[in-house]
Amino acid sequence: MATHVPTANGTEMTGATSLVKSLEAAGVEVMFGLPGGAILPAYDPIFDSTIRHILVRHEQGAGHAATGYAQVTGKAGVCIATSGPGATNLVTPLMDASMDSVPLVAITGQVPSAAIGTDAFQEADIRGITMPFTKHNYLVTDPAQIPGVIAEAFHIATTGRPGPVLVDVAKDALQKMTTYNWPTSINLAGYKPRVKPEAQAITDAAALIAQSSKPVFYVGGGVIKADAHKELRQLVELLGAPVVTTLMARGAFPDSHPLHMGMPGMHGTVAAVTALQKADLLITLGARFDDRVTGKLSTFAVNAKILHADIDPAEIGKNRHADVAVVGDVRETITALIPALKAALAKSQPDLAPWLRQMNSLKSTYPLGYDLPDDGSLSPQQVIQRIGQISGTDTIFTAGVGQHQMWASQFISYEHPRTWLNSGGAGTMGYGVPAAMGAKVGAPDANVWAIDGDGCFQMTNQELVTCALNNIPIKVAIINNESLGMVRQWQTLFYDGRYSNTSLDSKRVPNFPMLAESMGCVGLACDNPADLDKTIEKAMSINDQPVVVDFRVHKDAMVWPMVAAGTSNDEIMIARATAPDWDSQEL
Amino acid sequence: MTTAPRRQHTLEVLVENAPGVLARVAGLFSRRAFNIDSLNVGPTENSSISKMIIVVGVEGHSLEQVIAQLDKLISVISIKEISTDKAHAVNDTQPDYQN
Repeated sequence: MATHVPTANGTEMTGATSLVKSLEAAGVEVMFGLPGGAILPAYDPIFDSTIRHILVRHEQGAGHAATGYAQVTGKAGVCIATSGPGATNLVTPLMDASMDSVPLVAITGQVPSAAIGTDAFQEADIRGITMPFTKHNYLVTDPAQIPGVIAEAFHIATTGRPGPVLVDVAKDALQKMTTYNWPTSINLAGYKPRVKPEAQAITDAAALIAQSSKPVFYVGGGVIKADAHKELRQLVELLGAPVVTTLMARGAFPDSHPLHMGMPGMHGTVAAVTALQKADLLITLGARFDDRVTGKLSTFAVNAKILHADIDPAEIGKNRHADVAVVGDVRETITALIPALKAALAKSQPDLAPWLRQMNSLKSTYPLGYDLPDDGSLSPQQVIQRIGQISGTDTIFTAGVGQHQMWASQFISYEHPRTWLNSGGAGTMGYGVPAAMGAKVGAPDANVWAIDGDGCFQMTNQELVTCALNNIPIKVAIINNESLGMVRQWQTLFYDGRYSNTSLDSKRVPNFPMLAESMGCVGLACDNPADLDKTIEKAMSINDQPVVVDFRVHKDAMVWPMVAAGTSNDEIMIARATAPDWDSQEL
Repeated sequence: MTTAPRRQHTLEVLVENAPGVLARVAGLFSRRAFNIDSLNVGPTENSSISKMIIVVGVEGHSLEQVIAQLDKLISVISIKEISTDKAHAVNDTQPDYQN
């Protein structure tokens, strides 16, 4: 708990002031929110607080901004909303944060305690609604409980497997007087996350690795959450085995590293997908065998033993049996594993050279690539690749969900953790712009680009007003293919090209540059490959205002490779109806 | 629906005596598609702790997965599998569990 014991302890104050003092004591510097009736008492002391409150235009924006802030800083993101619709507008960001293990604390106002259960104005049972996708949640009706609950909320959100915590506070609890008392310690009988792995599990893990001749590091987002990227690199270089980084782990291991095979999964590289399929051991670090990675589970990595290291015991064996399980913080696990593996390798050093040769052959034979459109129009992949190359590897990228997200995960080179933010588990369209806002607040000196789709952008672009008014100069690239591109791709492949309700006509309406200008941003457009670099450079040169670029791209581009949903990873396609030439590979 | 063998396990679950805890446990079983054959809630000698006796019908999931998911609920303090002839702790979260 990153807190200090405040001198205000023992002071009489309202529950509202106690709430704000508690947030200050928890170390909160920024929160994203929007006031309303039930939470209004808290907004009075917020007016005087040291906490920067950023007034959003929609509560969903507050939730995703808090997530973006948390993903960039590693600290808990905080959002605040009123009861009823204010609170329900946080539901999607909470579900999103839960799926991607993001530390988030959401504060909501609730109707006065005497009115709870009466269908009062703006009453919603937000504690009940959010039970399935909060790590924990609270309804506070007694102001004396506020400091303890806030302290617990931050403790739960940021320790163990991180996740969202919601604190719903009844209006009368905010209005009543109370004696402020910030706790000096937290003891939750039902919450003791295991941080340090068992010594025996580490020994078993090292022995398993040392017996393996085709091991692969299957690296998930937990490695970034645990800040374990340096330790990961040491471990990888000690063993010299290939690495794959999942959608949530892009940046956990440098893309430029020769042992990196890329991203596995539905739109992963041939080398990464095949590395998992043909391995004899998956060294699974902070990953959870998601269906987008495994494909058809019964055909996933059938010859591999599984070493599964995760901080959440419930992930062990959930989707795939673990031969050796290591429960603990993944940085502690890797740190313990390095000397144990050195000792094990001293006894028996397997020859990984043939395995690496096979993987490197696949990596060089099937690199990621794309064809430029025949008609000379703009290629979406090229736009995204050039933004990555021109803005450099210290840039933070966010994405919405769909084709542009997959291309941004494929064609931007990630060298550092916490530079790639996206909605992995939830697949939340509209995540990109508000997450970029939160990221820029958390890392004001970094360039922040939201790679967005024309569909996603139309879900949450109202937060550009927030950005413009609060000096949050993000950059947004709308990859405008005038359609719900990924859905359209599935219609092309699986529904005989019957494009039911996927055309958005967004090259006609709205006029994105004018929309951007109306929100206080600079609006640019580009539809000619010859103008691509200078448009990106123009956007890069503007740092005192948000910039929105409407990249009007070819709409028939598709994301490849692809493992169709529900099929085996063995059926990966590198283009439509085109499988890799397995006969030429010695596997 | 399924021809997999169905086994019953009886769990003794100590939980915080607080509003909403029954909903948390019932909701978890529902959303993870675990089967509750019966559930009883009663007091313990400690007024801040309640005891649930849950008979779980396990098919398609392992008992370990049911217990691990249940144990993630902050309101769940400890879980024991009990049977007629013996009782043994399968998972607990006493303070010595940490490290």
